[in-house]
Parts: sequence; structure tokens; C-alpha cells
Amino acid sequence: MLHHIRNKIYLVEVLPPKQDSEKLEKDLEKFSNKYTRVMESGYCACITDNAMGLLSFQGPEIIEELKLPVMPEQVMIHLNTFHRKDDLDNILESCKSKGIKYLLIITGDGSDRLPKLRPSDVDTTDVESVTSVELLKYINREYPDSFVLGVAFNPYEPEEHEFEKMERKIKAGATFIITQPLIEKNEVVDRLIKKYPEIPVVVEAWMSRKLYLLSEAVGYEIPENKEFDPISTLKMLHRLYPECGIYLSLLGFKTQYHLIKDTWT
Amino acid sequence: MKIVVCIKQVPATHDAKIDPETKRIIREGIKAILNPFDNYALEEGIQLRDQFGGEVIAISMGPQKAENSLREAISVGVDRAILLSDRAFGGSDTWATSYVLAKAIKKIGNVDLVICGKQAIDGDTAQVGPGIAAHLDWLQATYVMAVDEISSSSIRVKRMHEDGYDVCEIPFPAVITVVKDINIPRVPSLKGVLASKKYKIPVWKPDDIDADKSKIGLDGSPTRVVKTQPPPFRHASTKKIEGTPNDCARSLLKELRMRSII
Repeated sequence: MLHHIRNKIYLVEVLPPKQDSEKLEKDLEKFSNKYTRVMESGYCACITDNAMGLLSFQGPEIIEELKLPVMPEQVMIHLNTFHRKDDLDNILESCKSKGIKYLLIITGDGSDRLPKLRPSDVDTTDVESVTSVELLKYINREYPDSFVLGVAFNPYEPEEHEFEKMERKIKAGATFIITQPLIEKNEVVDRLIKKYPEIPVVVEAWMSRKLYLLSEAVGYEIPENKEFDPISTLKMLHRLYPECGIYLSLLGFKTQYHLIKDTWT
Repeated sequence: MKIVVCIKQVPATHDAKIDPETKRIIREGIKAILNPFDNYALEEGIQLRDQFGGEVIAISMGPQKAENSLREAISVGVDRAILLSDRAFGGSDTWATSYVLAKAIKKIGNVDLVICGKQAIDGDTAQVGPGIAAHLDWLQATYVMAVDEISSSSIRVKRMHEDGYDVCEIPFPAVITVVKDINIPRVPSLKGVLASKKYKIPVWKPDDIDADKSKIGLDGSPTRVVKTQPPPFRHASTKKIEGTPNDCARSLLKELRMRSII
């Protein structure tokens, strides 16, 4: 991930089509256009895994079906703990065979249709529920040296608990960290950077104008009419966190993409 | 091994409204989904086919739009799908529905095993699976939570009870209805969904299955719904978690995760 920071490579979130899409072909075409645009810009496409528990197609299967190119430094797959064991292994095998090496390992969100990995699926007996820590251990054990594994950090959770979890994630093999969206300087993230100077930290920039959607994540009510300029905030995050990478979530490909070109100088 | 899985399209919401005149569920304007229990029936059929060879055929009786559920069945890996759709089937109760499905199973021919979800979430009757067995005069096992063994002539299953399970061995051909504990249903793959969109689903009418018209639709349905009313208020059950704050938090987290709430 240091490569991305040194070379000013944005991590750009790309949402895959949902399983219940009524216009799947169109959604696949949109995905393909976005992915290709990210590749051509030299950025890294980060494909989510059933975000918010909404059943969606997996990044590797879309890449395969659409025959999209994989540049190893330019693709990251999110992987959460809501999969059947055989699906998990298929995703990992598929990533490995395609040369996808960056994985963001998260606990994730479930739903009625998304089965949770059982401890026995990841060959562990000392926990009651599989989290990103057990998934990290499993991948490192079963696929040694195949992937670069990152984890999420939430500065809005109780601080000591979050740091205790981060310690376990790092011990389990995490080598980079991506934060929840930041819209201003955050002292908990400052502490994180200081605590793990050798681990690359990527801060998430919220690119939607609808800032109030972040209310639940940050834990306080943001009024719906609050004005928010994502591009100015992005520039501010560069000034505040020059040593960090940047993950762009909910980036508007039509209205914002051309504006980010000169933001990382 | 030839396996038929019977599936049903149902309203997606639990707020389904009842037509006060007909006492039937109003389906217009409500998103339709595959009956959740049928996912387990499909998964079991696919797993048995993968293990023992043969084919899995999904069938459904319903309006034309029920083909969406059959496409879902194709997308997870069944080999064929057949829709039973005709105005004459409309208004069928569970007895008439199971008659139609049984006639379709007879027409498919040489079927070894029929698998149904334990019940549909709209009617909650759990009668169609047993009804099919009755019409075909085959043996059945309901509430199956595990298939333990299959031989060339029989199937051995565990039937779930509140206090444990029965082990039953029944000869082929047979009908089983399955509960959620039996497997973890797969999620459709992109390849499967794209293939399902191209699949041409045959539509069978009463004449195609040689159905006796006096046994289908409203005329063939002995059930008369004389009254419907909302269910009585249900008191939520409470589970008390005890221990140290850390233990309680951990237990609560586990409970919520196991229910896929978080």
C-alpha cells in the first residue's frame, strides 16, 4: 500500500451490481465503464462485498465474466465474513488466479440470504463467531504470501475497544488500514497513525454531497440540509494527512471524477 | 436420480393485505420473491444431484410472473424448470395445487424424489408437500433436517421434532419436505443469473398434464375460507443474558450476529 501512497494512487470504490437488479446488463456495462476508467487513470478499483448486507455480485466473477483486465496494483477486493465456506474459497482461488492481491478484510453486514462463516469453516475453535481477525488468520494460513491484507478502522467506535481490535487484526496479519470516512481532523486517527508508524493508513473521503447519510457511522445526527463540499474536504484531508492514502467512497463518476485529477499534488 | 423440486413465488412482505371479499392475499403491487424455505429444497436437490448424478427439475404453479422464481432456480444450478400456468389453475387451494403438481410430476416421469420447502410463507399451511405424496400415493417424510443415506432403493432422513428427531427410511419414489437446518443455500452466481435469463421456460397447461378440470381451480378446491383476521398480538420472548459486562456484551454480539442482525 506504500506504493499507492508514494505514487498518489487513489483507491476508488466501485459498487458491483445487485443480485436483484432488473437491468443487470445495463448495470454490468456501467460497472465495466467505471472499472475501466479507474484502470486508465492509474488508480485502484476497490470492489465492495455485499455492502450494507445487500446481495450483490462478487468482484472476481464480474471481472471474469466481463473479461476485464487485472493490473495487480490497481484492484482491491473487499471480503467479509458472510459467505458459505465453498464460496469463500472460490473467491480466494479466483482472486489468486487472476493476480488480484489486495484484499480488504472486514467483518461485514449480514442478511437473511447471506450465511455467516462458522468457526469450523475457518478451522478455528476458540471463538463463537467469525470476525475479520479469524478470516485474516485463515487466509494467511491457507494462502501464504498470496495476498496483501488490509483491515478497517472505525474512529467513531469506543476508542480503546477499537485499538484492542486493531492490535488483534495486526497480529493476525493485516498490513494496511483503511479508516471510516473522515470529514475533518480526527484525533483517534492521529493516534492510530502514531501507534503504527510502519503500517500504511488510508483515510476514507466521503464523496457524496449527502453528508447526513454518515450520521449512523459517526454516531451523531447530521442535519439533512447541512452543506458539504466533498472536493474541498478531499483537499483538506490531503493537507491534514499527507502521509496517508485516500479511499474515495461514493464518488460520482459523471460529476466528480474529472475534478479529482489535480487534488493530490 | 431424477429429482423434482416444487417451488412457489410468494409476496416479499409480511404486511401482505387480505382481500375482504375473497379472503385471499392481495398480490398486486407487492414485490414477489421465491418462498425462502424453497431455497433449502433447491439446495438439497442440487447437492444430491452433484453427489449421486442425475438431474434436478424445478416446477412451480402460478401466474406467468412466477417464472422469475424458476429463473432463480436455474441460476443456482437446477437443470430444467417448468411453469404450470393457466387461468384454470387460478383459485386452487392446497389440495388442488398438489393435484396439479402431482400430475406434472407424473408427466415428467421416472421421478425418484420430490423435495418441497416445509411450507410457503404466505399460506403457512405446510400441506402441499404431503398433498403431492397423497395424490401420487408415494411415501413421504416431512420436516426433514438431514439426509443421512441414499441407496438405489431408499432414502434415510432425520425428521425434526421440537425435542429431537426421528430417523426414517422410506423407499423411492418419495416426497420430502425440508427445514432450514438441512443446508446452507448457495447464492446465485453471475454466470448462473445470466444463463437463467436466456433459459426458455416451458409453460404447461391443464391439457399438457392431463388434468381433470373438476379437480383444479376453485371448483377443485374443497377449502372455503370463511373468515380471516389479524393474528393476536404476540408477546416477544425475552432472553436474559447474565454475567460480567464483558461477557454479556460478547453474548449479545454473538446472538445478534447469529441472527444476521449485525
